[in-house]
Amino acid sequence: MTGSKKNTRHTASNHASWVQKFESSLNGQSLRALRQQAIADFDRLGYPTTADEAWKSVNPSALIRPDFEPAIPATLADAELAPFIYPDLQGARLVFVNGHYAPEHTSDIPEGITIANLADVYDHPLVKAHLGKLAQTTDLAFTALNTAFMRDGVFIHVQPNVTVETPVHILFFTTASEIPTISHPRNLIVADENSQLSLIETYAGTGTEPYLTNAVTEIIARDNASVNCIRLELQNTKGLHVANFQAQLGRSSRMTFHDFTFGGAFVRNDVSAYLRGEGSEATVNGFYALEGSQQVDNYTLLEHAEPHCPSHELYKGILGGSSRAIFRGKIHVHQKAQHTDAYQQNENILLSDNARVNTKPQLEIYADEVKCSHGATIGQLDENALFYLQTRGIPKAEARRILLRAFADDIIGRVTLAPVRSHLSDLIDTRLERIYAKDMA
Amino acid sequence: MLEIRNLHAGVEGAEILHGIDLTVNTGEIHAIMGPNGSGKSTLAQVLAGHEAYSITAGEVIYEGQDLLDMDPDERAIHGIFLAFQYPVEIPGVNSAYFLRTALNAIRTARDEEEVDAIDFLALIRDKLKLVEMDEKFLKRPVNEGFSGGEKKRHEILQMAVLEPRLAILDETDSGLDIDALRIVANGVNTLHSADKATIVVTHYQRLLNNIVPDVVHVMLDGRIVQSGDKTLAMELEEKGYDWIKEEHATHSV
Repeated sequence: MTGSKKNTRHTASNHASWVQKFESSLNGQSLRALRQQAIADFDRLGYPTTADEAWKSVNPSALIRPDFEPAIPATLADAELAPFIYPDLQGARLVFVNGHYAPEHTSDIPEGITIANLADVYDHPLVKAHLGKLAQTTDLAFTALNTAFMRDGVFIHVQPNVTVETPVHILFFTTASEIPTISHPRNLIVADENSQLSLIETYAGTGTEPYLTNAVTEIIARDNASVNCIRLELQNTKGLHVANFQAQLGRSSRMTFHDFTFGGAFVRNDVSAYLRGEGSEATVNGFYALEGSQQVDNYTLLEHAEPHCPSHELYKGILGGSSRAIFRGKIHVHQKAQHTDAYQQNENILLSDNARVNTKPQLEIYADEVKCSHGATIGQLDENALFYLQTRGIPKAEARRILLRAFADDIIGRVTLAPVRSHLSDLIDTRLERIYAKDMA
Repeated sequence: MLEIRNLHAGVEGAEILHGIDLTVNTGEIHAIMGPNGSGKSTLAQVLAGHEAYSITAGEVIYEGQDLLDMDPDERAIHGIFLAFQYPVEIPGVNSAYFLRTALNAIRTARDEEEVDAIDFLALIRDKLKLVEMDEKFLKRPVNEGFSGGEKKRHEILQMAVLEPRLAILDETDSGLDIDALRIVANGVNTLHSADKATIVVTHYQRLLNNIVPDVVHVMLDGRIVQSGDKTLAMELEEKGYDWIKEEHATHSV
């Protein structure tokens, strides 16, 4: 199988020279060792194929396009940005267009917090200490590629004991063009001891042509920190999206992550939370609403390394058309992690005969005093519930909407930022209307 | 108000109703009794418009209109209400939202003004008293985690809110203790009036001590085999269904 694995046309020496050339265009070479290791890892790994366990269920060949060019900066009119920002939401906003920082769209940096474009702070001690430590390149080809070619993205440091009252919104926007492009957004967030931060990550794109966004976010929540993240994936219908989200939790820290996937032709999300401090707590929830031939692959890992850590995971999806969703959730409870309380659930509703779901929970438990549960459901919309609502005078289309919204609101309702919740509410309504318009046509 | 003529219906090619004839006039309460599997619930579901049943012959005229031509929601708008034998759980939809959405769907379809949240609360408080339910039910997801009795009272609550012209109660009495039975029967009696009609589908005579029918029908094997006044129900209670089965078998031969 390894023979077919390296099916890329590029050669290893070629890649290394690209990285060198890329690096010479940057301001500072302090990440050289990291980049060189990453490209060496990538050369060893090659692009994933279905022979890789982690990519078994999808054919990643859609992602492997040697003609993808590095994305180039572009100016973005406020009007293009408007559907993705929240005027009613106070707080810092940073915008990146085609992977390049667009300072003209940046607003309001609150106090007590360091926010910078990553490319400007390679020498920051926290960047040196943490960048690439969580998101390892040894076995993830796309993360290796990101690490070799990363440039812009967000670096956030919340000082100890600081509660950032307003959320930070970071938006990665791609303007698709005839030449398919690739960008590698890279974010590093350090929430220091006893600090608190809310973060919204939006990935969006315009146009109808394909492009690849290959994003990596690393989050360090130190002791007693609280980090609340919402991620919206709204790529265009041809967009390819690979994202690796890694969080490390210190003692008694808390992290909530809510992931919403609406866009993209192909989306691969790796989400990992490392509970490395006693009494830390992670909530990882996701929602996807798919149509057409969209494919979404969610690969999650909850690593319980210390005792007394609860984790809660709920992924829900609605699938129309011939879309496909994959959910793989692993809970790994280390021997030391006594009194772990881990819950994992994946629920799916198929609205079409051609939609498909593969779901695979995986528990690996080495401690003996733990409470772990997992479950998965795949089904159609409940016909009896539909009939029940109709007999009360509610038209069928509205009855369907009520049932599907109730299913989705289980996740959407947990988003505490009202403008984001209302945006999600509109997105799900529009998506459901489109699924029914197409499937019923 | 309702006229069923030679109704044949079934599922997936298997006929369950073999020619039902039934006339219900305004102001009347009809009881449909019969052993399990006689087709009582099928008839109730067919009248409410369940898609799983196909109609192979016959017609149902409701207030001069072809009922079988209407979608379930249209039937509700025209004043038909089915209290389910097994009320359906709807996770994530709380009772208040459900009831108000249903009421407003019907009001909108009838070109009446929608009821806002405040007026609805006043309205529902009044209706809750009728079925002796606590306001906290309104916040709970529809039927989820309800006891059998609570589910049935919740059905009557819906009936009280939607104020149908023709109410069909499908074994609303089964699984109820005596207190819940009294509450349900009291609700049905209160909601019934001279300009309405009620069909009570039941297996037991017990409910009919509290809801007094004008006409009692006995269903057997998808047919109404006997009709009479309330004394028929008492006779059934006393003798069971076997005598009528035998009698009917003799007649058929």
